[in-house]
Amino acid sequence: MDNLFIAATERSPEVAFDAAAGTLRIKGESYPEDASQVFGPIFNVLQDYLGQADGNGLKVDFELIYFNSSSAKALMNMFQMLENATDVDIVVNWQFMADDETMKEFGEDFSEDLEHVTFNLVPVS
Amino acid sequence: MLAKQFRAFKSTLDERGIIFSFSGYLSEGILYSLGDALRQKMALEDTDVTTIKKVFSVFVEQSQNIIRYSADKVQGTLGKAVELSSGMVTIGSENGQFFIVCGNIILEEDMAKLKGRLETLRAMAPDEIKAYYKEQLREPPDEGSRGATIGLIEIARRASAPIEFDFDRIDAERHFFCLKVSI
Repeated sequence: MDNLFIAATERSPEVAFDAAAGTLRIKGESYPEDASQVFGPIFNVLQDYLGQADGNGLKVDFELIYFNSSSAKALMNMFQMLENATDVDIVVNWQFMADDETMKEFGEDFSEDLEHVTFNLVPVS
Repeated sequence: MLAKQFRAFKSTLDERGIIFSFSGYLSEGILYSLGDALRQKMALEDTDVTTIKKVFSVFVEQSQNIIRYSADKVQGTLGKAVELSSGMVTIGSENGQFFIVCGNIILEEDMAKLKGRLETLRAMAPDEIKAYYKEQLREPPDEGSRGATIGLIEIARRASAPIEFDFDRIDAERHFFCLKVSI
């Protein structure tokens, strides 16, 4: 299965997906005008992985500082995709700066509908 | 004469508490550079993290709305696809609050829908805006909107007071649209 690494740009995050380890990390900021450019490749590898995980789990680490509303929409779609993969054990770590109310609130919003996915809010200082 | 003229122009901006004002063709690159300068300016003045985040977020959404929806636009190919949209973005502070104003030309045919959306948001209490945001986040996007609905809700959500907006008719086909957000 393919790994994915996309370096951060001024307006898009670093993306690192390791298929063998079952880990995905999205780190930085995301405010491209067209969020599908950033999230399209992530959706593709996730779909492949979740479709043939064969007993392996998935750990997703979000280390996002800021994202715009179209990225928020894409993230919501990603969480729906993860929630629907009921046969894969999924853990999401939503990291945010302890004094950043906005990112904390986004984490709470995203986690609201999740039952199958384990969602951890991880404040860091 | 030249210096006098432009000093007067700058004084007018300074008196209104304007940190910066951009007028002209806006691109994603300009958005990035202005946004970076804005964040640095606020951080140097020891603005708290949450306020910086809110101001920056409203700035990005307002600027991307201009880039997407300004009716005054040039498009073409210069090796790659290029789209430049004309508008204004102004950031300032008054009465201890930051404000962000965007202005751009919109078409008559788009006005009623935009006005309706903004009136709905202006009438909502903060907890209603938050609930509406969460609901819209889970909805498929409107036809042809390129993400407008959620962007305007994000703007209203970050505002400390109800949003202000206005339309100034230019001719039968066009209006100058303005949206002011205080944080």
